[in-house]
Order: sequence, then C-alpha cells, then structure tokens
Amino acid sequence: MTKHIAALSASLLALGLCGQLAISTARADEITIHAWAWADRSGPMRATNLINAADLMNKEYKAEGIDRTIKVDMYNDNVDGFDTDARNLLKAFAVGKGPDVFPMAHEWLGEFASDGYVMDMEPFINQFPEYFSDVVPVLWDATKYKGDRYAIPQDTEIRMFFYNKDMLRKIGKDEAFINGLPAMVDSGQFTMDDMTALAKEVVDKGAAKYGIVHRPNSGPDYLMTFSAFGVKFINADGKLLLTKKEMKDALTWFANNVKEGVTPANLTSMTFDSIQQSFKQEQTFIYHHGVWTTAQFQLGDAMGATWPTDEAGYFHKIGWLNAPSAVKGGKPTNLSHPIVYAVNPKGEHPDIAAMLVAYATQPYFNVQHAVTSAHMAITNAETGMPQYKAQWALADAVPMLQYTSFIPNHPKFGIYNGILFQALQGVETGRLTPDSAIDFLSQELSNQLGDDVVIADSATQ
Amino acid sequence: MSRAAVSKRRERANMALFLGPACIILLGFFIAPAVVDVGIAFTDMGQNIRVTTVTLENVRRIFLSDSQLPKVLSVTTLYVVGTLALFNVGFALVMALTTTSVSQPTGALFRGIWLLPRFSPSVVYALLWVWVVDASDFGLLNQMLHAVGLAPFDMRDQAPIALIIIANGFIGTGTGMIILTSSIRAIPEHLFHAARVDGAGGFAITRFVVLPALRWPLSFITIFQALSLLTSFEYIWLITNGGPFYDTTVYALMVYKRAFQNGQYAYGAALALILIVIGIVVTLVSWRLLDLRSLLQRPRIEVQ
Repeated sequence: MTKHIAALSASLLALGLCGQLAISTARADEITIHAWAWADRSGPMRATNLINAADLMNKEYKAEGIDRTIKVDMYNDNVDGFDTDARNLLKAFAVGKGPDVFPMAHEWLGEFASDGYVMDMEPFINQFPEYFSDVVPVLWDATKYKGDRYAIPQDTEIRMFFYNKDMLRKIGKDEAFINGLPAMVDSGQFTMDDMTALAKEVVDKGAAKYGIVHRPNSGPDYLMTFSAFGVKFINADGKLLLTKKEMKDALTWFANNVKEGVTPANLTSMTFDSIQQSFKQEQTFIYHHGVWTTAQFQLGDAMGATWPTDEAGYFHKIGWLNAPSAVKGGKPTNLSHPIVYAVNPKGEHPDIAAMLVAYATQPYFNVQHAVTSAHMAITNAETGMPQYKAQWALADAVPMLQYTSFIPNHPKFGIYNGILFQALQGVETGRLTPDSAIDFLSQELSNQLGDDVVIADSATQ
Repeated sequence: MSRAAVSKRRERANMALFLGPACIILLGFFIAPAVVDVGIAFTDMGQNIRVTTVTLENVRRIFLSDSQLPKVLSVTTLYVVGTLALFNVGFALVMALTTTSVSQPTGALFRGIWLLPRFSPSVVYALLWVWVVDASDFGLLNQMLHAVGLAPFDMRDQAPIALIIIANGFIGTGTGMIILTSSIRAIPEHLFHAARVDGAGGFAITRFVVLPALRWPLSFITIFQALSLLTSFEYIWLITNGGPFYDTTVYALMVYKRAFQNGQYAYGAALALILIVIGIVVTLVSWRLLDLRSLLQRPRIEVQ
C-alpha cells in the first residue's frame, strides 16, 4: 500500500515537472480549453477527469508562481450513443466549431484523422514517454490510423459469453467440466458448434428457456462471433471487406442456433431489458455482452433476482468464455471497444489540450473512471491499485485482454455494422437464408459504401 | 394624394401585414429547405459534411443499385393506404357517426378517450407500445394472452405492419373524428326532421343526409393524412425501427436512416427529393380525383 502511494506521488511529481516543460513562458492569463463529451451517464468521468486534470495543472502553476489558469469549458452532448456523438462532432468541425479535446469511440478515428480533425499524437507521445509508457500495449492498436497513433486510450472493456453454471449442474455435468469450460475454449478443444450443442442440451433438458442470446440491436458484441469464423472486416489496404465464405459460415451458425431452438427467432424484437431479465432470472444459459454488465445487473439484487456479490459466490454460479474457435484447435477471440481521447490540431492551444489528456491518462485519474464505470484499466499500474483490486470482476477480466481484438478504424465501419445487423436479424427471423443474406450484404454494402468496400469470396483469397 | 392612391397603398400595406408572416414562414421552413435539399442531392456530401464534387451518382444509386427500394415502396403503400382506410378515414368516420348519434355526454366521453393518444408525448406513446408488444412473457399483450390461456404472440416479429398501422391509426383517428364530428353537427337540424317525416330510417339518413355533407371534409382528411403518413415515421422508428429486417421500413424512415444514421447526407437528400415529387404527385392526383377545385370555388350565394 505504502509502495503504491509512494509510486503514485512520484509519478504525479514527475508529471508536474513535465507539465511545466510544455508551457514555455509564464503569462498572466486564463486559457479556456473547449472540451466535448458524450453525456454517458454510466461513464461521466471521461469528462470530469479532464476538468480534474486542469485543476491539478492549475495547482502546479500556482506552486511554481506562474500566473496562468486553465479553464475547461465542457459541452455534454446528450445523445443516444458514441456514433451520434461522433456525427455531431463532425458537424461541429465542419463549421469550424470543433472542440479542443474530446473522448470518442476509437473506430471513428479513421474519419477524423482523414479530415484533419485529430492530432497525430506520435510526436507528443515520443516527447513525453513518461506519461504513456505504462499504457497496456495492445490498446495502442485501437488508436492507429495508417500506422500512426492519433489518440490516447481512455478506457476499454472485454466482451464475452457469460454462462450459467447452475444450469450445467442441473443437467448432470460434473464440476471439472463446468469449471474447465473456459480453458477448453482457450485451448481450442471446445468450438462454436460445441457451444450450440451444449446450449441445446441445456434447453432440451429443461434447465433453460433460451440457450444463447445476444444484444437485440446493432452494436459491437456479436462481431467477435463473426471473427471466430474467420471473418475479416478490413483488408491490408485499409478497405472494408466482405469475405463471403466466412460470413456465410457465421450466419449459418446463427441460423442453426434458431433452428436448434437455442436462440429465439424473435430475439431482435425483444428489449434489452427483457433479454437481461431472462439471464438474471435464470431462463437463459448463455448471455453475450460486456464485462461491465457484471456490475450493471448481475451482482446482487437487480432485474428481478438476487445473485451473490462476492467473487467466490458469483463464479460458482457464472462463468466467462471467450468466443470459441470455429474449428478444433483454433484460437479463441474476444472484443474490446476502447474509448480514446483525441486532440484538435487546429484548436487554439493543442499543446495544453494534449497535456490535459496526458494528465487525465494517469492512473490516479483513470482508475476512478475504471472503477466507477466498471471499465478495464488502461495502464498496468491501475491493476495494482487498491480500489481497482477491490473491483474483482475487473481484475479477473484482465487476462482475457490477451485474446482481444478491435473494431477496424475505418470511417464507415458503423454503416457496415448496421447492414450486418440487418442481415443477422434477417437470418434469425427466417426472412433471409444464409445464402440470400450474403446476396443482401453484397448489394447493400456495395450500394452504400461504394469503393470503400471490397467483396471477396474468401478471407484466404 | 388622391383617395384611390391612399386606398391602393393601404391595400398593399394590408397585404404585407397579413401575408408577410406567412410568406416568411413558407420561405424559411418550406421553400428554403426544399432548395437546400435539391442542392445537396446532386453533391457527394458524406458524414464529414464536405462537398467535393457535383454529381448525378445519387440518382444513379436510387434507380439502379438500391436493391431495397422496391420493398420499401410497397411497405410504404401498404402502410399509408392501410392506416388511412382502417383508421384515419375509415374508423374516424365510424367514430364521428356513432358518437353523434348517441347522447352528447356519451359521445363526448368516447371522443375524449380516442383523443388521448394524440395528447400523449410521442416517445412515451411509442415506448408504451414497445412494452405492450414485448416478445417476452413480460409484455402486456403476452400477459393478457397468458391470463386467458393463449400462447404468447410476438407482434413485432409476426405482424409488424399491422402493429405500425394500429399504433399510428390510434393517433390518426382523433383528427379525422373531430373534423367529421363538427361537419355532422353543422348539418342543419331541419334536414334530419324532414328526412324523418319522409320516413327515412337511421341508415337512410346516414346515406342520404350525412354522407353527402361529409364529402369535402373526407376529401381533405384523405389528402392531408396521406401526405402526413407519407412523411412521418417517428412512431415506426421508435416501435420497430423499420424491422424486423426491412419489413416496416417506410420510405421516409429509409431517407432518415440513410441520411442521418449512415451520414450519407447527399444520398438522403436525393431520396428526399423523390419524396417531395411523390408528395406533389399524390396531391395533384387527389386534387383531380376528388375535385377539390370545387371545394375552393367562391360560393355562388353570399349570405350578407
């Protein structure tokens, strides 16, 4: 404990000194940094950490006798999600009203970088490595556009399959099998089809009403299922990709789940609430979503049922799975959807905006966001901090980061995913066969994305 | 200044005073957006709001490569005609006829109940529907079916068109009902007495006294509601989001999704342009078929 506090104090002191370097001259002035953040009620500290970082910088100015204050003028964009927020940001930039600094969903970086709205952070990161050297390395992949880092990771999470161990006990599985499932997935012995077969057994034996459920609307989670079947969403040239063979395999898996009675055909017309209720009230065997839902509704009393809140009790009831490989011996996968901080290169004070991000990235600030919003740590130091360790669900998900993948940083991936969801819905509701879904995808993707998408017969072409 | 000149000046001032505000609103909110829409429709404006070229590509996409368009057009026709026939005109007429043939308080009570959906905030109203038809056992409809021993029914999956027609119809009935009720009330009382004296029954009075008096209101409601249904999509968007798949994606919703959810502003503008054309065609055809010109003619007798 003392060691952590000492390390933290040392790092903050170092930050302070470096912060001074960034500001060459002392002037008596007030600098306003215009920040913009989606008003996400579950993660308000994405915005407030920038304000808190400014407070720290102001304290340091005062201590150094520099007559300067930084004021963060925060605009909270009250919309339904990161995609709408990103489009609003694009509109603001288009009329010259773009903010100086803003958090955003990483997959939008491609659009913003190609429009010149986000700063290439490589020089800044190289100038001040002490701020960023502890960031979990894999997260940098989500900030890259054409090889350069255009943003700084702000948070991340793990999306996975949650399975109900009590149901496996009910159908007579032994503890070794029940608790060994994650390892079997990781070693490639347990495939996607095995998961369907197991879910069918649970449903057929009356232990659950639904076998496998996923989100009812367009979003990132189910993409890892497609990845498990070898679907590639982007090619080496950075163009979006439809790989027909692998896509058909994945859609066939979803169609088969409906045929086997594992997934309800009308899943996508259910509400998110009723899907979560069905898992919490133990009518569903496997629920596909993100680690933050552990804190959101799985622990304790929520959604009409009470589950254990302690680590041992929870993991006695629920287990976590990566997406199994489609073939025996293959590698598992899961998905992270990092949020990143970006800086406007044409703002009035890009250097100070970047420094605010550097401060907000430090463990002292970021861990507060991680634990209050149930997101994963972005620095290694955070994982050792007491408040993070106390959130055992977050700590336990850290090892899963080794299998993680990201949504491609392509400006039009949101459109691609919307069309993919329609195909998925078409297949599950029986309105499309896997073959006709591929035709639909080819036509719709070509029509709406034009030259940005390449249609290929297979990923191995 | 001569009296004629003063009178002319006053006439002009009055014209500016009375027509000016309406003209400004028309220009600002109806004509300017249409002009902007035409301008954007022939560009390549994407999600970054930048225009780099003027092009006919969007028109080519609409007519040659948007494979969902035929389905969307047929869904739109079914939705507009279905909602009009069953609710906005059909049921509104039934409500107006029945609530004017019972005692005034009873009629007012039923009309009041049917106006409730119209008074509800649209998002609240739509979310109530989402909850009512929720596919799980937690939905109100399924709880009711369960109570009477019937199997659960997922209306959003099994009968999505019926769902959006009913949800919109419950709202749309009110307007037509009020207009038709006031039209029935405006029929001179002595015509009913005369018909009774001539031995007419309830059906004959409706057929030969009431319905002829409702011709113009019915024509107006039909055109007005048809145009309104063609361009409105908020309830569909909130209740089914155009799904499952494309089953309830009406044309206006497709325009919205293409333009604002996908950030293809130019393509959305081009699609909206077609909607403007469709609106004008529907209006002109209705004008001709329903002979609205006669409605707007000066009355032949002027009561002083």
